[in-house]
Amino acid sequence: MMQHGAYSMVLYISEGKQPELTNLLQQIVDNDVETNGIVPFKQIKSIHFARFIALGKSIDVHGQEVASRLVLTTNYDMPLENHIQEMVRVAGPGLWRIFSLCQNFSSGNYNADMLERFLLSQNIPSETFYVGVGYRSVQQIHNENLLRKAINEFADGQRALLQNEPAQAARQRIINFVRSRPDLKWADSPEPGPSRAFTISRYAKLIGIIALLIIFSPIILPFVIIWMLIMLVFEITELQAPNPVTKDQIRALVARETQLVQAQFSALGNIKPGSFRLITMKFLLQSTNFLAPYIFTKGKLSGIPTVHFARWLLVEEGRQMLFLSNYDGNSENYLRDFINIAAKQLTLLFCLAQGYPKTWLMVFGGAKDAENFMAWARYRQVITNVWYSANKEVSVMNIFQNSKIRCGLYGEMTETEAQKWISII
Amino acid sequence: MNDQLELNDIQGIIIRGYSNLPAAHFLLLGMQDPAAVKQWLSLMAKDITPGDRDPGESAAHIAFTFDGLKALGLNADALESFSLEFEDGMTGKHKQFFLGDFAESAPERWTWGGPNTADIHILLMLYAKDADVLSRNKNTVLETISRYGLHEVQVLDTTVLYKQKEHFGFHDGISQPTIKGLKRADDKENIIEAGEFILGYKNEYGQYTPRPTVPAQADAANLLTPMPQGSAHDLGRNGTYLVFRQLAQDVPLFWKFMARTTENVNGNNDEKEMIKLASKIVGRWPNGAPLVLSPEDDGGKPESNENHFDYRQSDPEGLKCPFAAHIRRSNPKDSLDTDRATSIAIAKRHRLLRRGRSYGPPLTEKLNPLDCLKGEETNVERGLYFISINADIGRQFEFVQNGWINNPKFKGLYEERDPLVANHQNPQDSSHTGTFCIHHNGLRTRITGIPEFVKVKGGAYFFIPGLRALRYLANVTT
Repeated sequence: MMQHGAYSMVLYISEGKQPELTNLLQQIVDNDVETNGIVPFKQIKSIHFARFIALGKSIDVHGQEVASRLVLTTNYDMPLENHIQEMVRVAGPGLWRIFSLCQNFSSGNYNADMLERFLLSQNIPSETFYVGVGYRSVQQIHNENLLRKAINEFADGQRALLQNEPAQAARQRIINFVRSRPDLKWADSPEPGPSRAFTISRYAKLIGIIALLIIFSPIILPFVIIWMLIMLVFEITELQAPNPVTKDQIRALVARETQLVQAQFSALGNIKPGSFRLITMKFLLQSTNFLAPYIFTKGKLSGIPTVHFARWLLVEEGRQMLFLSNYDGNSENYLRDFINIAAKQLTLLFCLAQGYPKTWLMVFGGAKDAENFMAWARYRQVITNVWYSANKEVSVMNIFQNSKIRCGLYGEMTETEAQKWISII
Repeated sequence: MNDQLELNDIQGIIIRGYSNLPAAHFLLLGMQDPAAVKQWLSLMAKDITPGDRDPGESAAHIAFTFDGLKALGLNADALESFSLEFEDGMTGKHKQFFLGDFAESAPERWTWGGPNTADIHILLMLYAKDADVLSRNKNTVLETISRYGLHEVQVLDTTVLYKQKEHFGFHDGISQPTIKGLKRADDKENIIEAGEFILGYKNEYGQYTPRPTVPAQADAANLLTPMPQGSAHDLGRNGTYLVFRQLAQDVPLFWKFMARTTENVNGNNDEKEMIKLASKIVGRWPNGAPLVLSPEDDGGKPESNENHFDYRQSDPEGLKCPFAAHIRRSNPKDSLDTDRATSIAIAKRHRLLRRGRSYGPPLTEKLNPLDCLKGEETNVERGLYFISINADIGRQFEFVQNGWINNPKFKGLYEERDPLVANHQNPQDSSHTGTFCIHHNGLRTRITGIPEFVKVKGGAYFFIPGLRALRYLANVTT
């Protein structure tokens, strides 16, 4: 059973080096993000998704300038040390070249050990990390998609036979076919599930937290009510900052969406001023981070069935927030899903960002104001200079279905169960 | 703001489809002398049929491309206030990818509206009760326009097909949203807020879809009403956007494919299975009966206009109407992967008012499948002028085209685009033909090698102004 991590690093770009850096990143894209000579992502087998963003100068909520920054993020198969070592092994010199254009990075000759230590030291933990395709490695997702294709081709060839015999016999025929294929040897046994210890500790944590909440509820509840009232005063008195997004901004953003199946979203927001709101924000994001694996199962982020991975990061001592996600479809559909399916839940996680449509008690209003929400999201969206996806032809729903198909190869089934399984092939 | 529909200011084509005016011409015009064109617009404005008038024996409507409004000399701020999709049109590189217009459907090959064809500024839509009246009206227009600085780029003729069918032989025009405020009886699910189709009214989000305005000083004569907020004047009110695409239909290819795929072991045609496959692809039988309600045969009626059905309860696994079928993805109703109410609410935010007409001679008179199969193949082009009306091109037409019709991952699918109208020629596609699965209890039947039955031959986005806005455009000063 594979677990996933979210690696994030943010570096200030050296004075005057932004054009050179942007150029270098563009070379990665122009020479095929998978195989280019700078960072050949396809060879880094631990990566699900990765991106580079060259953030231009921005203005924080106090009107102060924040210098331009380079952002590198990956969604990787644990453990982190292996992932970092693999990145250095495959793309060390390329990464060195990129980081050399940033502040606080050695400008000397390439040194793999130093690069590895540097990468490890720069990792910023996510406030919230959402995983839609839980517990599957890059390789497993790839393999299970191949398995489904092979079974489908076999089934097409044997269709008349498979449709006219009992489902159990048809299933056995498919199992025999898989067994006969040396390249599908890995599918002879199921992917190991979570260990007993893992499952116990997973639920123990949840039960522990709930128990604590119940025990301390007489203290917590009045506290929460007062907290909410203070927040309400903020909400009533503050004005929504404008989101003067231009057509050219949107054109530049959507022009980079050129993949058939998946797309990415990167946004940089300002957190509204004051420690009260920063603490609230942190609390909400971290609670979501804790609860996400329990409540967002089956690949749905608050009911949105298309998100592979998403993360919320606080940067600049909590003055700014980065939101990064990888999903199926295009950004227009994706943002519409926010509004249509998960307005309240996502409003809770974004309401303390500057310019977000006006909210009441942090869940009401907000994304329900569709026009304003779209303007805010587009205004805060930034160009992702380099974006890589390892399994670019599968949707979240495909990944889940592929696993279901594989699981059907093992154990006993009744005729009805076998029929149901065959119908999802 | 008053949400009562101002029918006398809305062009009639938005309100009704003119089934009583079967003859129609669509004139694509270019302008060379804007000053003269404005005089013509003033004259023409009187002949444009408003939504509150029974058109009698003929009707006329007018719409503009972004280039057309620019050529007229509309204020730069006003031009900027139009939607991004309208301004950019449907032929840019990203748009080609987004709409799936590749290979034979590529804009470079279009006969109008493409990068290699003459600029189009104005669309004039003429409707009449018969060919004589239509031809008279058309001739009058064509005689007049040359005197007013306009030229004809193309005249698109339409055809009336047997019993409201389209060229493949399917009863068409069945699923139409009902505009709220018109007091027409319909299922609640099918009554859509006016703001989805007409600017200046509330949409399905309870908001006003962004609409074009002009700065107050550019409307000194106060021809337009002021916006409820700010000082600008309302150019969009009672107008909307119109999507026009010329879709060629390859009827022999369509029926030959159905016949070849369903022929029996002896290589003989199986008419029943052939029609059934075509119906699975469409989601309705040729007579219009929806598969969800009559999965095994067409129910025997000569024609059906049935829209009162659901997917969630009646066909959750797509055993009757496949998930990939044309009607199930162009209006998924309650079948999206959310709870029922949310699915219906989402579907209502992506509806299109359809005003299309067929063109080209029918392959056979009555368009029966077997006749079509045996029909003489010629090089004549035939198809559909796909015309749809929506207040937000991005959220409605483009969303449906990209997210539902051309999306191989729609509803958990893997590689199935719309088998009837989608394009399979994206260079990133591993296969350049379509795939379509018919589900049963047990193993599905997977059909591969589906070619494009429909190809795009031309198209453009238009703004169809309210009548006040039209008079403003006729008087716009540069």
